Amino acid sequence: MRSADLHIEGAKSAAIEVARNRLIVPVFLFVLGFSVLAVRLVSISMFEDISDRITQVGSDKVEIVRDRADILDRNGIILATNLSAPSLAVRPRLITDPLEVARKIIAVLPELNRTRVLNKLKSSRHFLYLKRNLSPKQVWKINALGEPGLILEDAEKRVYPQGRLASHVLGYVDVDNRPQAGVEKFFNDHLSNPERSNDPLYLSLDLRVQYIMREELNRAMEKFSAKGAAGIVMDVNTGEVLAMTSLPDFDANESIHPDAPEMKNRNILEPYEMGSGFKSFTIAMALDSGAVKLKDGFDATEPLKVGGRTIHDDHAKRRVLTVPEIFTFSSNIGASLIIREVGIERQKIYLERFGLFDKPNIELTGLSWPILPRHWGEIQSMTVSYGHGIAVTPLHLVSGIAAVVNGGRLIPATLVSHDHDQSQDAYDGAGVQIISSDTSRKMRDLMRLAVDYGSGANARVAGYRVGGKTGTAEKVVDGHYSRTDKITSFVGIFPMDNPKYVVFAMLDEPHGTEDTLYKATGGWIAAPVVGKVIRRIGPMLGVVPEAGIEERFQDLILIGNKRY
Amino acid sequence: MIRIVAGFFVLMVMISAGTVYSLKETTERLEARRQQLSAQILIDRSAIKVLRAEMAYLSQPKRLQKLSQRFLALSPTRPYQMASSVTAIAGRDGVQRASLPVDEFPVLLPQKKPRFEKKKFEGAIIRASFPVARKQPTQKTKDKKAGFYERISLKLETEK
Repeated sequence: MRSADLHIEGAKSAAIEVARNRLIVPVFLFVLGFSVLAVRLVSISMFEDISDRITQVGSDKVEIVRDRADILDRNGIILATNLSAPSLAVRPRLITDPLEVARKIIAVLPELNRTRVLNKLKSSRHFLYLKRNLSPKQVWKINALGEPGLILEDAEKRVYPQGRLASHVLGYVDVDNRPQAGVEKFFNDHLSNPERSNDPLYLSLDLRVQYIMREELNRAMEKFSAKGAAGIVMDVNTGEVLAMTSLPDFDANESIHPDAPEMKNRNILEPYEMGSGFKSFTIAMALDSGAVKLKDGFDATEPLKVGGRTIHDDHAKRRVLTVPEIFTFSSNIGASLIIREVGIERQKIYLERFGLFDKPNIELTGLSWPILPRHWGEIQSMTVSYGHGIAVTPLHLVSGIAAVVNGGRLIPATLVSHDHDQSQDAYDGAGVQIISSDTSRKMRDLMRLAVDYGSGANARVAGYRVGGKTGTAEKVVDGHYSRTDKITSFVGIFPMDNPKYVVFAMLDEPHGTEDTLYKATGGWIAAPVVGKVIRRIGPMLGVVPEAGIEERFQDLILIGNKRY
Repeated sequence: MIRIVAGFFVLMVMISAGTVYSLKETTERLEARRQQLSAQILIDRSAIKVLRAEMAYLSQPKRLQKLSQRFLALSPTRPYQMASSVTAIAGRDGVQRASLPVDEFPVLLPQKKPRFEKKKFEGAIIRASFPVARKQPTQKTKDKKAGFYERISLKLETEK
């Protein structure tokens, strides 16, 4: 385009020239600015990724905030989840025909009382709740009624699809979804964090093992008319708890009475005198400290009189017993004599190392301290050596026994699956060495003997080498030891050559039956439970049975390596 | 000249305005569709949650045990049914295994190349098509005087 049609001359012409020259500068600036914009536009539209985060900002308002994350078992089966369970409310002023509406509501919700519903429908108030926690089907039916006066309010409910199965581990929540016990309470920071609501909590529990443990305990409890029972299955190398049952138990889906007896988890809350199970610790500490050797003999011909008290043997052999015999035949006298060699101070140090002076270590609330003797003299030291006068929770015993057999490392029990934990590396090589691995190997052999020749014979399982120790203790009733009320327990380990799992069962106040020759001891009551559990969970957990020939003894005197 | 240019620009403005309008319209429609979809996703998600909870409820071990006892001819695995590896069930020492690099399923290798041994199989029941001398047919002795028991036992023997 040419602008030469007009011709101006003189001073004006010079001024226009100046103006034109000056205009070039802003024109240049504008061109520069717009070209920057153009380049940026092209680069954004063609070369940059579309960020979802930015484009979806607007839609986040629609997202329903879920209060609590799910709890799953180690195989991903739901143990606890949140479901929307709307509440049914009514605005009575919008109800024209209360009788008809009441009839329809009762047809959908037959558990409601007709008169009460009618009263609410006729009420003069603005807003009334009729029922909480409707199921999806009921919601659909109520909606289908098409009554404008009925209102469904959104609400969330914590649901435990497995019912009673793991109730003591899981705990429960109250009406407002506030956790009251168990894992729900311990991991509340995770579970109630809205940002992690899609990040479920994987427990170490194996639901199948949990079910088998509960079923066998329940059967034994009914058979021996016991007051209660407790059971634990734990991985000795990682400390993962595969099953933890306490009977009687409760259903967290139903209404909860926090003070009812079934609410207490016997595994962590109630210290018991464990009886002979403690001899494992006594002999482990005696061998580890070098105070006693396996071949040493102790005179158990006569009951031991110490400080005005007499220590008897339940299965008295009335002869000199070696250390394996003391353990296998569960001699109280022998254990007392051994602890005399070890000494009180060393006994205390070792018991503390086994974690028996502290609260049990697990991700649950309401853990109980052990009950220790107030004054620790010679007689107390001796009774503690065979598990009397000291009360610990079952979890104490299980963790300690796991450390005795797994090579001597005390590994804290855990309820979180290591497979799904991001901080998995932290567990490798965890655990404090408390006894030497050589002592641990000897203890494994002793525990195997106790099952093969001793009181734990009922825990034998064809195909697996099971080891363990029975325990029978008299309960303290009104400050005295009761003769009839007993705590019977058995702690079993399998397979004994390379321990994988420790299985513990305890029954509270069982009564002997004809099958058990009217005896209520750990070997007759708790050991068969452990045997049955191992028989069922062994193949399930992929434990390969050991086919091998073991040496046979008679009264622990070698009788030959015959194949049998 | 200037008119042509101006006309061109007016046309361009009209076209771009039309394009922008239709783009905006499309975007709004897509946005509405997107919101509808995300709402549907939320509904479906909560339905999936209900279904998953129901599945967990229906697969309670107690219930499954009852059903399997009633309808399946299967029983729980016993310890003796477990084997540590393929080599353990071979029943001999020095077993070698082979597996294709693509899978993890090892196959036992025979100890040596199978070779037919005539002596070993003589008189044995022959299933394979080995070139073996036929078994000599036993002569049927018909002894009418033989008693019932002898006849039965003879018949059993020849059939064997």
